[in-house]
Amino acid sequence: MHDLIIGMAGSGGDGIVSAGESLLSAFAQEGYFAILTKSFGSQIRGGESSCRLRVSSTPVLNPGGALDVAVALNWEDFLRFGGGLPVNESTVVIYEKKSGIEPASIPLGGVKPAIVRSVPIEELAMKSAGILQAKNNVILGLLSEWLGLPRAGILEGIRKKFSKKGEDVLQGNERAFAAGVDYAKQNPLGRDMSTDRPQVRENHRVITDGNEMCARAALFAGCEFFGGYPITPATEIMEYLQREIWSHGGSLLQAEDEIAGIAAAVGASFAGTKAMTATSGPGFSLKTEVLGLASAAELPLVCVNVQRGGPSTGMPTKQEQADLFAAAFSAHGDTLRPILAPINAVDAFGLTVEAFNIAEQYQTPVIVLSDQEIAQSKVIIEPIDPARFTVVNRLKPNKGELGNYQRFGITDSGISPISHPGMRGGNYLAAGIEHDERGAPTASGEMHARMNNKRLKKLDPLKQRRDLFVIEGDPDAAVGLVSWGSVAGIAQEALRTARAEGLRVKLLIPKLIYPVAEELYTEFLASLRYGLVVEQSHQGQLHRIIRMWLNVPREFRSIAKSGANLISPQEIVELIRLLARPTADASLAHYCDLLNII
Amino acid sequence: MISHDSASHCDCAAKSTAYTAKDYKSELKPIWCPGCGDYSVAAALYRALAAIGRPPHEIALISGIGCSSRLPGYTTAYGFNSLHGRALPIAQGVKMANPELLVIVAGGDGDGFSIGGGHVPHAVRRNPDLTYLVMDNQVYGLTKGQVSPTSPRGTKSHAASFGSIEEPVNPLLYALAYGANFVAQAVPADLEGMTKIIEEAIRYPGFAFVNIQSPCVTFGNPETQVKLQKARMRNLQTEGHDATNHLRAMELAEAYGKTLYTGIFYRNPQPPPTYGSQIKDRQQALKAKTPIEALA
Repeated sequence: MHDLIIGMAGSGGDGIVSAGESLLSAFAQEGYFAILTKSFGSQIRGGESSCRLRVSSTPVLNPGGALDVAVALNWEDFLRFGGGLPVNESTVVIYEKKSGIEPASIPLGGVKPAIVRSVPIEELAMKSAGILQAKNNVILGLLSEWLGLPRAGILEGIRKKFSKKGEDVLQGNERAFAAGVDYAKQNPLGRDMSTDRPQVRENHRVITDGNEMCARAALFAGCEFFGGYPITPATEIMEYLQREIWSHGGSLLQAEDEIAGIAAAVGASFAGTKAMTATSGPGFSLKTEVLGLASAAELPLVCVNVQRGGPSTGMPTKQEQADLFAAAFSAHGDTLRPILAPINAVDAFGLTVEAFNIAEQYQTPVIVLSDQEIAQSKVIIEPIDPARFTVVNRLKPNKGELGNYQRFGITDSGISPISHPGMRGGNYLAAGIEHDERGAPTASGEMHARMNNKRLKKLDPLKQRRDLFVIEGDPDAAVGLVSWGSVAGIAQEALRTARAEGLRVKLLIPKLIYPVAEELYTEFLASLRYGLVVEQSHQGQLHRIIRMWLNVPREFRSIAKSGANLISPQEIVELIRLLARPTADASLAHYCDLLNII
Repeated sequence: MISHDSASHCDCAAKSTAYTAKDYKSELKPIWCPGCGDYSVAAALYRALAAIGRPPHEIALISGIGCSSRLPGYTTAYGFNSLHGRALPIAQGVKMANPELLVIVAGGDGDGFSIGGGHVPHAVRRNPDLTYLVMDNQVYGLTKGQVSPTSPRGTKSHAASFGSIEEPVNPLLYALAYGANFVAQAVPADLEGMTKIIEEAIRYPGFAFVNIQSPCVTFGNPETQVKLQKARMRNLQTEGHDATNHLRAMELAEAYGKTLYTGIFYRNPQPPPTYGSQIKDRQQALKAKTPIEALA
């Protein structure tokens, strides 16, 4: 098999997520790539929990669709995750025998999985280790044998985890693992489930997530100040930085509220340091007034919004891409804040560095629009090569300019050198109030128009940044996909699958979402008969933004879904199949109807 | 800060020039009404800054929105006329980013005790080395006369036709209860006293709060005007108040709105560590073991 998707669910305390993490670290050691998505009920502790792990010998683009292997410690918990753990006709289902349900009557709504195994997991755990908590290691033993998973790595993980808890506990868990292996040996699956081996087998892999990558990138880019407030699913950015930032001479404020967090960051930027804040939807709404100030005062600032299901409290632990309108349009007045959207954890590094670079170069707030899937899924990646990134600093006034300093001087580029307190001769008044070139408050309509023009024009060159777009596939294809953020990896997989079948299709992934790069979109759209914008929001927000700026083909449609359950690559592939070989002169709406796509 | 270029270094130690009040006064003409108490606050600030003698480019004056928040523009220091209510967190960011700066926060009673009221206790409990000057005029002047958080109960205006039915905030008691280590009150009627208080507040290591009863000539209560302050004001120090006595300070502060005390209510003789000094300690203790490149 090219890759393998395992989904597991149980009650809190069953150690399901911990089993997923053990597998992840074992795969990393063997040189595999993977994405581990964890999911919990809304309880702080206890309740149901699940994880899904997609592993491959090549970089994993997305968490994938239907499960190859499903493990249910109890069906009630498993079913609570619904579309998060989809099972189909080719899935292998393993479940706890104690449930008393016969393999023929497992509650999967009529889906008949390829193989169903009822295993006395709890009994094996009790017999081998004498404790219920060893159930997850029985499962690891079963999977290790049936799926041909890297046994040494899993055992090493078990040893690492339990060695601190005493020899007895460690040996018990090792026995539980062995019991799982033995059971699987005695009851072979009758199907080869092993995955392709990765090419690199040494320890050349890193386990991380988007939030950590974002925080590391901030430090790499020279961020010396972070102001923020705890909010799911962005908090880990602050948690990482509060461990690391001090040692690099920076500081961090866990503020009294979201507003104070970003306000302090703006203050730090005014003082001459690179500054960041991070939040999620509701917090982002609170921060928008200060973002307006940063635009008016032309202060560099990076604001990360790790999107979650909304509106309001919504679904804090679930993925969604529904804050695009908020990011683009929540400003008051005529402002434009660049928006960068990473497509995965690796990208979260690169684009956070880029966000600082753009913020510093153009003296503007920049929004990094990440999402829960990117931010919190654990991934195995290749180590990032810092030599690939450059770090840009703000333009400071030279001695001559300081002689008669005009902080907001009108220049060809719209960028005027920026001083900071402590710099002799650079003294000026920063303000949200409209100001003239020296920074003095003004009520002149003419000056207001000139300053608006300066603040907006300076961002025009961004639209030429082709490196912030990915274009893949057949350039003259009549079928084209546009996708962004964490969903882009799904579209990418669909594209590659379809092209492997000989279909002609192309894909555009904008990482610079805003300002809208009209020229680039126009070129991409030119060959299209059918265009699909694939994204995870009910309204199809990118689709609507593209239509605001561009003339689109008649058959340009939004394939948009509310968040929490990811769109699956298979859905998109099916649609491409119909569109790339249209049987009659039918409309896109017709094909969407055929597939029941809203 | 890690990466200061040569132009940005504070040359605090190299100071040899003596500064006068006018070195801190900018050429901008204030928008304040003739007779506004804020003129005196500006004058007192210029004098206090001259007495302290830091060059203007090493001073950051951060304000919110309102009449009084125009103050930074009338100085030659680096100024930031920011957002309504957000001066304190912005100032804390400035100070954390560059602890060498002299950072002063200015604003009105609406800024500090209404829209930005939630920031005050947190600024106090962190104890950054900031001076917070509130120009308390008990009215929203810039928006033309609405009641403010410090307007006395019963205050009538065209925007409160039937009079305020809310108790006013007591800024002095709030600051003391939050744990501020330096709490004082000043009035424009006593320019010399205000200058001294502002100077002492700036010199105090840690968060210093000065409530300035700066009357609004246009929308304010006639009984609070500057010329009447002279007769009403009672100087705490002249009356023998021991500014190290926190409980007594709170008792006296309760008279806010009734007795016009000026001077220092409370001054902790043993200033606790400032936020900045604790940050510096932490930065030094954790000093980078790994190069930033290794973070990738």
